[in-house]
Amino acid sequence: MISLPIVDAPDVAQTSRLWRSLPHLRQDSEFVESNQEEFLPGASNPISGSRRHFLQLLGASMALGGLAACRRPVEHVMPFADRPEELIPGIPLQYATAMPLRGIVKPLVVKSNDGRPTKIEGNAQHPGGHGSTGVFEQASLLNLYDPDRSQVLLRNGTETSWDDFLSLCQRLQLGSRRVAVMAASSSSPTIARLRAELEASFSMTTWLTYRAEGIDTEALGIELAFGSPYRPVYHFDQADVIVSLDADFLGPTAQNSGHNTRSFAASRRLHADQRTMSRLYVAESSYSSTGLMADHRRRMTSASVSQLAVELAVALGLREGDSPGEFAVHLAAELQAAQGQCIVLAGETQPAEVHALCAVINQSLGAIGQTLELLDTGLGEAARPDALASLVSDMRDGLVDVLIMLGVNPVYDAPPNLSFASALERVSDSIHVGLHVDETARLSTWHVPAAHYLETWGDGRTWNGTWTPIQPLIAPLYDDARSGSEILGAVASGSFVRGYEQVRTTWMPVLGNEDFESDWRRVLHDGFLAETGFDAVLPAAAEFNGVIPTSPGGLELVIRLDPTVLDGSFANNAWCQELPDPITKIVWDNVAIMSPATARELDVAATYKRGRYYSDIVTLSANGQSIELPVWVVPGHPDNSVTVNLGYGRNIETTRPERDTPFWDTDDSTDVYAHGTLATGIGANTFLLRDALARPIASGLQVTKTGRTYMVVTTQDHGVLDVAARPLIRSATLDEYLDNPAFALEHEAPTPGKDEKTRFEDYPTLWEDQHPTGTAAFRDSDYWQNQWGMVIDLNTCTGCNACVIACQAENNVQVVGKKEVGNGRELHWLRIDRYFLSDDGVEVSDDPKMVVQPMPCQHCENAPCESVCPVAATVHSPDGTNQMIYNRCIGTRYCANNCPYKVRRFNYYNWSKTIPSTVQMAQNPDVSIRFRGVMEKCSFCIQRIRSAQKNAGLEKRPLHRDEVVTACQQACSAEAITFGDLNDPGSQVSLARSDPRSYTMLAELNIRPRVSYLARVNNPSSNLIEST
Amino acid sequence: MPQIFPRKANKLPVLSLAGVSLGGIVSVLAVWYYFSPEYTDVGYAPQQPVNYSHRVHVDQLGLDCRYCHSFVEIADVSNIPATETCMNCHEIVLPQSLDLMPVRASWADDSSIPWVKVHQLPDYAQFSHAVHVNSGVGCETCHGRVDQMDVVSQVEPMSMGWCLECHREPEQYLRPNDEITTMGYMHSADYLKINLDRVREEGIRPPTNCSACHY
Repeated sequence: MISLPIVDAPDVAQTSRLWRSLPHLRQDSEFVESNQEEFLPGASNPISGSRRHFLQLLGASMALGGLAACRRPVEHVMPFADRPEELIPGIPLQYATAMPLRGIVKPLVVKSNDGRPTKIEGNAQHPGGHGSTGVFEQASLLNLYDPDRSQVLLRNGTETSWDDFLSLCQRLQLGSRRVAVMAASSSSPTIARLRAELEASFSMTTWLTYRAEGIDTEALGIELAFGSPYRPVYHFDQADVIVSLDADFLGPTAQNSGHNTRSFAASRRLHADQRTMSRLYVAESSYSSTGLMADHRRRMTSASVSQLAVELAVALGLREGDSPGEFAVHLAAELQAAQGQCIVLAGETQPAEVHALCAVINQSLGAIGQTLELLDTGLGEAARPDALASLVSDMRDGLVDVLIMLGVNPVYDAPPNLSFASALERVSDSIHVGLHVDETARLSTWHVPAAHYLETWGDGRTWNGTWTPIQPLIAPLYDDARSGSEILGAVASGSFVRGYEQVRTTWMPVLGNEDFESDWRRVLHDGFLAETGFDAVLPAAAEFNGVIPTSPGGLELVIRLDPTVLDGSFANNAWCQELPDPITKIVWDNVAIMSPATARELDVAATYKRGRYYSDIVTLSANGQSIELPVWVVPGHPDNSVTVNLGYGRNIETTRPERDTPFWDTDDSTDVYAHGTLATGIGANTFLLRDALARPIASGLQVTKTGRTYMVVTTQDHGVLDVAARPLIRSATLDEYLDNPAFALEHEAPTPGKDEKTRFEDYPTLWEDQHPTGTAAFRDSDYWQNQWGMVIDLNTCTGCNACVIACQAENNVQVVGKKEVGNGRELHWLRIDRYFLSDDGVEVSDDPKMVVQPMPCQHCENAPCESVCPVAATVHSPDGTNQMIYNRCIGTRYCANNCPYKVRRFNYYNWSKTIPSTVQMAQNPDVSIRFRGVMEKCSFCIQRIRSAQKNAGLEKRPLHRDEVVTACQQACSAEAITFGDLNDPGSQVSLARSDPRSYTMLAELNIRPRVSYLARVNNPSSNLIEST
Repeated sequence: MPQIFPRKANKLPVLSLAGVSLGGIVSVLAVWYYFSPEYTDVGYAPQQPVNYSHRVHVDQLGLDCRYCHSFVEIADVSNIPATETCMNCHEIVLPQSLDLMPVRASWADDSSIPWVKVHQLPDYAQFSHAVHVNSGVGCETCHGRVDQMDVVSQVEPMSMGWCLECHREPEQYLRPNDEITTMGYMHSADYLKINLDRVREEGIRPPTNCSACHY
């Protein structure tokens, strides 16, 4: 082995320590052994360990090898009989539409290839959007193609006809029926219009806006303070001081996370012209994406956060009370000094009273109108917490004849104390409209397969109120699929009206009759109607003197929306299940998260063994219900508290047959879709632990150890880089940055050629004189003009995962399932490394900081992978990308072995072969599907580069500046990813790369990565000394 | 002890060695030839659902390629025409023809005619008709004398080596843009010079790096 001092032991002084997990921090022997090998234990083993099975396979493949067909299969070209005018085969179309999510719509532009929606992007022109998307917008594409969607109209579980359903609707018109509607919270003007229609045709109607995650305490709190549930819009970019009281406003589950992330990122971006940044204080009850961005983070139970809010109000002189603690006094001083350029916000775990208190604080500080805008949504009052309970008791008393459930699943997610399922039996006609034959569908008299939003007409309003149409890109995949508004209309009027007509009827008075058709077409083209946002109000002085509820003590349970499957509506989405949780990095599971100290107290642990964790299963009991979950330890989680995520423990039916293959065919064991629905059987239903008011906090949690263990798979320890010795993530305080903007290069190991001590020539690459960039073939290419590069700003990246899903959707990255992720065989081209950060020398840390770092292929100029490939399947392109040529790859995996960043992914099985036919429709035709035995990795979205070059060539023009946008960059709400041509000194990426904070990872290896990072800068207060 | 092998067996090692080496060479050559697209793909002329003759339409009636393959200049794929294109004429011309039964059936019930794909590039090769046609590669260069075909067949191997022949020396193959669809085009005597001038002027530098086509 060649010994190079620079490669082996860089001598770098570090004051802090980066680590992935507790075994990593402790350097457990089990951990060290498992990570010594290139591939995780089990990654290289065949599916079954037995020699007999292997010989069987060998024999069978010998026998079958001779039978393999010699000719390629006959392929057909199926042209239209009558081609629609705008549809040109091979040229994708883009449509503006919108996705309903958590009560608002997200404006989108969706790409359609030959009639199949294939990629979702944000609508950059929309006044309520910003061109970026979150995890759920990206992943919703796969919901459309979910092979387990319900397909036929069901009456008492058996297929029936629409005539049958229509006769019900007509029957309902006669006589006075008591109708109740439970609808997922919606901003749709059409649904609102139909609601009025329904209320007109039935004398007794109840309308319940149902939120699975519980009541909207923010709206309630603002109503408490101002008398009306105004909708807050936070302008973090205007704020100097931000105090988050358990508000995960940057997390993927936040309702307005896109706007929040963009404006927060604007307040944190540093460059030559902006040398100040906001300061973020976070007090939170579990580690979140917001917590990891904090300058000062305090872990505390949600009850303590409420108390902190009170202390803060006292410190600000807004309330009488005991003398506030040091932290609250400090916050009060900081907030007052900010002179209105500040925001105090509370999260979904906090009761309405705390939200009211925050509103009072914000107003007294003068933030309203400056950093905080209140919009009048026209809603008179916020939803009451007991509305659901009173509807259920009406149902039980037989006061409801017809119950329509639009896109909700209350049998699964209503508070168990209400016994919704038994009350449902008393309703003579219950109509469930949903995407799956789920828990509620099975107990309802009628189940209508819902049409996905990409299949149906609809409308809605964004967070700021802009009227936005939802237009379909494809006819419903299943004939029986209908939208909620179509069913609502049918019940209200007794006849069937198509969604298109319904929406046009709603928009007719808004657009006016004169030029309706042309205005309507303009609206559909743009994807919005301008100047229809809610009006901002400046309410009179807020008043709130109510009592803040206190906790009775004991162990606290925090029940949160899951950052990957939300409330369970994304649980059957393979992309979401395989998406590592932003904090725990766990895939395909939910767990009970607790701090190391609480775990010690309960005598439970998650034990690392050969690449996987074996967690103790505990019984969690709260509010009279118990569930079993494996434990998970997250340093930085508050003590005396357990956090669980919603959305698991689903039970969905499917009509898809099990995949059953002969013994020599391993497809059934590697196909995630092989055995029933994806969501069924994963995790436990944590909705069961909530009280009758569906509050997200339960006190007095009982935890008992069952004595059994469970295998939890997480990617947090996959591809561990040698962080102990190398400064992979560099950070400084704002003062240090102002002092020395180029601090990131300070501690860099000596790089060959960079200074006099080490001459470049002393460290030849394996190419020596024949480096491809020196050859004529390289320089003589048009591609040589553009040299692609990427810069990722660690100061704004929140690790929200939107880029990971965007990459997966764009590049046909397949899903491998829990077992295979456990073997280290996941295929994500872009991963987000999450590190804990603690002071050096601390052996066990209970309150570390956290940093994230997105890791795509670094496209090294001296790529180590290229020089070891025996068949030149991975080589350099003249435009400076490291290209992976699938058809040349023979699967030696030498390249992955030699990659210092661990970004190469190997297809151990033929994952693309087994995907269901509907999921095949989601694949991007511009990117090759990879076969078994082939290496793959981030390509810098080479298909987008080539397509831009092709278009420029056809139009006989040069590429525009910053014309090529990668999928991850386009999705990023924080604009943390910059991509472009390094040859163009004016391009965004060139400017970003020349930023003093810019550094490349492992620069000392002389591999010259094309991806560089902008070092992170924190803005801690000098007056507050952190107690660690 | 008598000898086990007779004397003439001494030739056996030499013979078998020669046999093995000859056999090796023959099998390499056989694979080289019989496994190449030149052998396996050239001449592929599948039966189409409609007995459509390019000879009749192009050679005898003089239709331009782009009358049917209308998006070849703007799209990656050269489209197979919609049934509507056929019916433009055949509503009047030969409305009773038995050969046109499938076309009329498709038009009547709005279904696709399942044409069989003749030229199949592998999915990992990204090819754009528009780029090639606009850079002076004629239809005939890759597809041959389609105007002489009653049943379309593949005439070129469409292998990577074959692609690269032109990508390395485009001046050998280019033709003026107004002759793209010409069948039986004859290069002028000084075509090499004309093409070299054009290559220089328009900056036609066909890429030969892998990720130009494979991604």
